[in-house]
Amino acid sequence: MTALRGPAVGRRLPLIDGIEKVSGRAAYTADLPAHALVGRILRSPYAHAELLDVDVAAARLLPGVVAVITGADCAKPFGVLPISMNEYPLARERVRYRGEPVAAVAAVDDETAERALALIRLSVRELPAYFSAEAARAPGAVLLHDNQAGNVLREVHDEFGDLAAGFAAADLVREARYRCAEVAHGQMEPHAALAEYDAERRRLTLHSVTQVPYYLHLMLAHCLELEESQIRVVKPFVGGGFGARVEPLNFEIVAALLARAACGTVRLNLTREESFLTHRGRPETEIRVKLGMTRQGRLTAAACEVVQRGGAYAGYGIVTILYAGSLLHGIYDIPAVKYDGCRVYTNTPPCGAMRGHGSVDARHAFECLLDTMAAELGLDPFAVRRANLLSVPTQTANGIIINSYGLPECLDRVERASGWQARKGRLPPGRGLGMACSHYVSGAGKPIHRTGEPHAVVELRLDFDGGITILTGAADIGQGSSTILVQAVGEILGIDLGRLRVVATDSAVTPKDNGSYSSRVTFMVGNAAIDAAQRLRDILLAAAARKLESRPDRIECVDERFRVRGGEDPGLAFREVAAAALAQGGSITVKGTFTVPVEYQGGKHRGGAVGSTMALSYAAQVVEVDVDVDTGMVRVEKVWVAHDCGRAINPLSVEGQVQGSVWMGMAQALGEETRYEGGLPLHASLLGYPIPTIMESPPIEVHIVECLDPNGPFGAKEASEGSLAGFLPAVTGAVADAIGLRMTELPITPDRILEALARRQRDSRIAAARGAAS
Amino acid sequence: MSLLPSFELIRAASLAEVVAARRSHADCRLLAGGTDLIANLRHGLGSPATLVDITGLPGMQEIAIEPAGLRIGAGVALSRLVDDPLIRRQAPVLAEAAAAVAGPTHRASATLGGNLCLDTRCVFYNQSEWWRHSNDFCLKHRGTVCHVAPTGNRCHAAYSGDTAPALLVLGAQAELGGGGGKRWIALDELFREDGAAHLALGADEVLLSVRLPIAAGLTAGYEKARLRRAIDFPLAGVAVSLRRDGDALAELRIALTGTNSRPLLVSGCETLIGHPLDADALQQIGKLVQKQVAPMRTTIAPAHYRRRVAAALASRLAARLFSAPTPA
Repeated sequence: MTALRGPAVGRRLPLIDGIEKVSGRAAYTADLPAHALVGRILRSPYAHAELLDVDVAAARLLPGVVAVITGADCAKPFGVLPISMNEYPLARERVRYRGEPVAAVAAVDDETAERALALIRLSVRELPAYFSAEAARAPGAVLLHDNQAGNVLREVHDEFGDLAAGFAAADLVREARYRCAEVAHGQMEPHAALAEYDAERRRLTLHSVTQVPYYLHLMLAHCLELEESQIRVVKPFVGGGFGARVEPLNFEIVAALLARAACGTVRLNLTREESFLTHRGRPETEIRVKLGMTRQGRLTAAACEVVQRGGAYAGYGIVTILYAGSLLHGIYDIPAVKYDGCRVYTNTPPCGAMRGHGSVDARHAFECLLDTMAAELGLDPFAVRRANLLSVPTQTANGIIINSYGLPECLDRVERASGWQARKGRLPPGRGLGMACSHYVSGAGKPIHRTGEPHAVVELRLDFDGGITILTGAADIGQGSSTILVQAVGEILGIDLGRLRVVATDSAVTPKDNGSYSSRVTFMVGNAAIDAAQRLRDILLAAAARKLESRPDRIECVDERFRVRGGEDPGLAFREVAAAALAQGGSITVKGTFTVPVEYQGGKHRGGAVGSTMALSYAAQVVEVDVDVDTGMVRVEKVWVAHDCGRAINPLSVEGQVQGSVWMGMAQALGEETRYEGGLPLHASLLGYPIPTIMESPPIEVHIVECLDPNGPFGAKEASEGSLAGFLPAVTGAVADAIGLRMTELPITPDRILEALARRQRDSRIAAARGAAS
Repeated sequence: MSLLPSFELIRAASLAEVVAARRSHADCRLLAGGTDLIANLRHGLGSPATLVDITGLPGMQEIAIEPAGLRIGAGVALSRLVDDPLIRRQAPVLAEAAAAVAGPTHRASATLGGNLCLDTRCVFYNQSEWWRHSNDFCLKHRGTVCHVAPTGNRCHAAYSGDTAPALLVLGAQAELGGGGGKRWIALDELFREDGAAHLALGADEVLLSVRLPIAAGLTAGYEKARLRRAIDFPLAGVAVSLRRDGDALAELRIALTGTNSRPLLVSGCETLIGHPLDADALQQIGKLVQKQVAPMRTTIAPAHYRRRVAAALASRLAARLFSAPTPA
């Protein structure tokens, strides 16, 4: 056993599955050995059309084809939110975006599957298609969904506090518009599923890349009309999620339908292009912000309008548009906040959740205007943020209770580390500094399904071998959640971490978990793990007390040694205590749970559950850029970021997650953008979609701020999303500092920079000419 | 990526074998490093029954000084061009351009000949079969309309090889071989301004090698505009070579890639000879480039950006080379 003793929490422990990943031994879904048929999906070449007929007769007759299915094979719409399930695994009656699955085949090999797809004939009546929110909302536009008037999935109108009084009290009121392009997750592993159907027993096993095995399980049962007990969902190693797989996806259900139709095993590996077509990324967003501010920089009121181009189906859309409004709160003290959101259906691939879900683009706009107004009032960007800090504990106007708030220290840390006061405004031409703040939830307070069950469950099993198995349904998708559970359990038990193993995300074995989204796993599953470990410790302490003829409350366990506190006795080794405990009744299984108390489940207003959480993380960052005015290239020279994640259970992992967030923010701010030509993605490859390479990756200096939260596991909070949003306004501010232009449209691509520089030159020439004329 | 179509692979050991293979197999493509061809085949851009590997032909892997200049076999890998001492000494701009191609793994396999003969690229062409089918294909492959310029009658796909402009500013020649023997042409004559047929090679001809004159006192460089400093094809690539005589410009060549359906040798540079390369002259260079390049909507980045950045890079590179110390 590798000795991994001493305090487990706070240790820079390499991820427990890192060896498999770096050595190539990790088996991802597409690697799983199986004697499987090849599944392939036929995708709509039309952006919007009535589906009159899908003729699969010729495909069915092709030798080697085992099954061909269409929308006729599944009449149950699915979706992650029970209130907006309007997507079919294979289109029925209507196709609503180019790339939507229409039919699927299972065949003996790739060539046959491909030939079969080519034999399928579609008859359609084309409909007008809308590729922008504006076009879809225009009067007279054909509805994508008959029951969704104006092609609007959800409008949100919230107002807290006295807005008119707030603006009236301001010395400066400004309003500005910002636009953020749609972006995609670009997770390294393309989508894949392996479905096995046992026709005799009517049982289904599905291996998939999902972040939410439980929600997938529910939707498989729903769409295939099977009892949940007849389904097993397994999540193997997953190569990144970032929200791409945080809802059940059409291909997963298609794989299951194919396996059932073929009475066998079907492998469905999507291409990179298909992974892009499945989408669920961050929507194209138009934001209008209006802020009121006193001369001292104190905010008096904020109003924000957000319009999201949501794509063809609901997915998480209602949550996304609500998040954008609810996370206007909880970072600064603002007396009055108004929010108007609108989520629109368009004939593009459905958008969904993406790292920083809903909050990112609105935060970008807010922070940009904050900077612009600060500059107008001659205030430093740091000063204007400090003028609006919260004092905690507090409850926001929209009902979020905040017990820990490390933002002030985050500001101090990055201001100092970046040399802001000495360097800001004194850099050579083309160089600039910018800063911004951001925050994020530590798990959504209210679960999607109101079952009454705990929000998280962890089981621990101890048997004759002296090993402890952690059974969890939490999906480690590369973020390191399984490692955190090992550290949490090891810390409570005081044992060697090498004794612990994690068995995760197999519905036949592990307890249900809601999934890896809204940064909930460390907080909720971590708390459940602590609860479980405490129960196991109680059993071990009782066993040790019996052997040491003492009382359990007088026993301590340090580095696997159980002894009476303060006594001289060398005590007992872990194995002796475990044997004594097992002698009482054989193998020991304990369960720990965690439930978010109702007061943390959000405000009473409509949609108040979204944004509800037990703790918020906070981040501040400074970005330094170099702008090449000949080419328009923005090069990020350095980033200083401070993230308040409460207790850093694993600082190494926290640093990685914060760097990942900043880096993903950089990708969105400076290059990434999904582009459609008549609804066809121009970008659907890793060559067309410009995810930054290591050449574009700046040094990212991470400062961990540990503002402990009383409800977090060991005081821990969210660490993987909160630093993303701040990068966008910070780099925009840095570019403004470098060239004197504040870009209002993201991404800040080189062509947009050159265009803006040229426009400024034109404007100043015109102004000069006017001056000369007058 | 989807399925790679099945094909027969012939490893040719001589030019005669290449010519014979192409005669007996109508549906035939040449293969060298394969970094461009294989990706295109996976996209369904052709499904040749036969591929003829030409990297084993005599002389294909040679780099040698000959009386007529520095000769480089078309089969030399780009990574070798980056590191080869002879290239670095005699034609550092070629090493620079080769280093700017794609990523390290591509360069290890991609060849000089393949990069020179690189297929033209376009957002309407370099897409999957499903994508192009959904868009009624295009003039370059299986369709009738160029989506970049629907009213025109030619394909506007852009040439994107990085090494061509570097070789053009050095005055390179290309050696072609076919059924009728071998011949040398100016490299510039290898290309045509037609995205669907940009190579002026005879039906049975193969690019065998290139040859560079050894020119003393010439200094040259390559600059490439792209979103990412690895992987990406050029939005615009510029090579400049010049010779300085005291304070005046004695020789100047500018060549571009990524802006047209062929690599473009900029004309009119001679007007700048004999004068110092001052601000006016640099502006003149920018104007020459802006006027002659013809980027179209073949990339996600807008065409006007590519025009602007090509001009900016050309004058900036010229200025840098003019003030650099003259090479021995």
